[in-house]
Amino acid sequence: MKLLEYEAKRVFAEYGIPVPKGVVIRAPAEVAAHLPDLGDGVVLKAQVDVGGRGKAGGVLFADTKTAVETARDLFSREIKGVPVREILAEERLPIEHEYYVSIAVDRSSRQPVVLFADAGGVEIERMAEEDESAVRRVFVSPLLTDIPPFLMRELLGGAPKELAPVINSLYHVFQGKDAMLAEINPLVTTARGVYAADAKLIVDDNALARQGITVNRDLSEREREAEKHGFSYVELDGTIGVIGNGAGLTMSTLDLIEFYNGRAANFLDVGGGADQERVMHAVKLVASMPGVNVIVVNLLGGITRCDEVAKGIIAAGVAPTVIVRMAGTNEEEGRRLLAGCGYRMLESMDAAVKAAMEVAE
Amino acid sequence: MIYGDKNLGVIVQNITGKQGTFHTELMNAYAREVGGRGVVAGVAPGKAGREVHGVPVYNTVREALREHDATASVIFVPGGAAGDAIMEAAHAGIELAVVITEHIPVHDAMKAIAYAKLHDCTVIGPNCPGLLSPGECKLGIMPAHLATRGNVGVVSRSGTLTYEVVDELTRAGIGQSTVVGIGGDPVIGQTFVDVLARFEEDPQTKAVVVIGEVGGNLEEEGVRSTDLPVVTYIAGVSAPPEKRMGHAGAIIEGGEGDARSKVRRLRDQNIPVASRPSEIPGLIREVL
Repeated sequence: MKLLEYEAKRVFAEYGIPVPKGVVIRAPAEVAAHLPDLGDGVVLKAQVDVGGRGKAGGVLFADTKTAVETARDLFSREIKGVPVREILAEERLPIEHEYYVSIAVDRSSRQPVVLFADAGGVEIERMAEEDESAVRRVFVSPLLTDIPPFLMRELLGGAPKELAPVINSLYHVFQGKDAMLAEINPLVTTARGVYAADAKLIVDDNALARQGITVNRDLSEREREAEKHGFSYVELDGTIGVIGNGAGLTMSTLDLIEFYNGRAANFLDVGGGADQERVMHAVKLVASMPGVNVIVVNLLGGITRCDEVAKGIIAAGVAPTVIVRMAGTNEEEGRRLLAGCGYRMLESMDAAVKAAMEVAE
Repeated sequence: MIYGDKNLGVIVQNITGKQGTFHTELMNAYAREVGGRGVVAGVAPGKAGREVHGVPVYNTVREALREHDATASVIFVPGGAAGDAIMEAAHAGIELAVVITEHIPVHDAMKAIAYAKLHDCTVIGPNCPGLLSPGECKLGIMPAHLATRGNVGVVSRSGTLTYEVVDELTRAGIGQSTVVGIGGDPVIGQTFVDVLARFEEDPQTKAVVVIGEVGGNLEEEGVRSTDLPVVTYIAGVSAPPEKRMGHAGAIIEGGEGDARSKVRRLRDQNIPVASRPSEIPGLIREVL
């Protein structure tokens, strides 16, 4: 789950990373009371979870006189379609130089990777594309609790040594907060010292509970409902509902729909060993999506039993046509139950998807 | 076969849990069928002295290995404790840990895999269905009846999609040497590169099916690393960016890892890519 900038900055501050003086406001007038603290120049930053926020008009500069009016302007905007409900009002830093630093999980080497660039504030992917040597990277053993000095020297190159303790603290954030990504862009130097001018923190969804996060904000309400039942669920914009077991098989079913020029309405993986009740909830959930007139159920029984799946489909008793492809454990019994209630069961994935296409058209 | 044969001695960690108990019985049913050793002991802290389907239970991996000759462990320990279970196995001398558990925090997986490497322990998974060498051994939860012995290796990030492909191959009369599910998480022990290196050393394996997914670029890395004839299939061509498609690893991040560009890069290297699972047997016949 991605934290908002001010949440990430609170975490950074706890770990000793200097952040600009700032306050979160929810109405334009609130900024007035904090102006004496923030100084002459203020930066107003919309707290919205979108990339390229600055370019999209989500960051505005103001002074003591214009702060309230500028905040009002920002609250009235939508940043890439997202309304602004919270603004982080910060002191304007006397920036000397901007750098880039991030720590992420490197899949290939199975270790944390630290990226550093001598130019910050820009999109790192673009910088790396234009000039591979502009971005330096080091890999740190996950068994270490600090970035060793030799790796830090390699990372910084000629950049100021004062950045090192901040980068090491970011590594502590990365480990301590179960982060998938911890990023400071830009990391700035000023006459007063080093600051994290921006902050990005993405927490591993599999570690939310131990990080004390109870609600995953990245999910829609229907997606959270699905999670409660043990499904993985993603809403798409097509007309053919999809239910499968296993992420790969379900994804493959979506691809097959696209292969035959159809459009899937959703991704729903019921998970391993789904019983009658779970399948029933899955069918009802997908049937409740507007515009769905046919549902493809594609299940390969291993732990999952086909007779349980059949009972779940029948129990859901929904209006859209349900087309079933099941194979594996208790397949015969499942087939008998479905046939008894007039459902169509097909032998292969391809046949099931083709049949669904006919109904959808 | 790779990783092990009939003589492989196996323990199960969290053997008293629902999945551990159920799959211990299935693994041993398969071992009886092929005349292998199967699961010889189980581990569940605080439950020493019990038996699960006739398999004795110990408090720790070390105690189990003191009484039994085993080199592999199948781990069913739940999410938050699974990293610790991998390290316990490695520390006690287990050489191959197959981690079925899903929802392991990524940082735990990174630490446990690094620790296991220090102890020369190979980790398959987490969040994987395990491996099956038809006629030899089964470690994990794959439905064995779909498979048949032969000379095509299968390596995959998925579970049920792997069964689908194995089923397609078997129906087409193409047998498998070993089927390995390496897991759907962002950080996994054995990657495509590692498994393909083992297939290359294996005299039984003549070609390999590589089943990938959206997310990361480990499929391309693997295919580049091998001289064996390979057929690939990548799931998630229709997946939207930034949305996690079930597996924690199946997500397109920062423009990296989308299935279409993976498919394009593979085809650029003249690697056959199936557009759907049912095309795989035909493509395998062409490369064999």
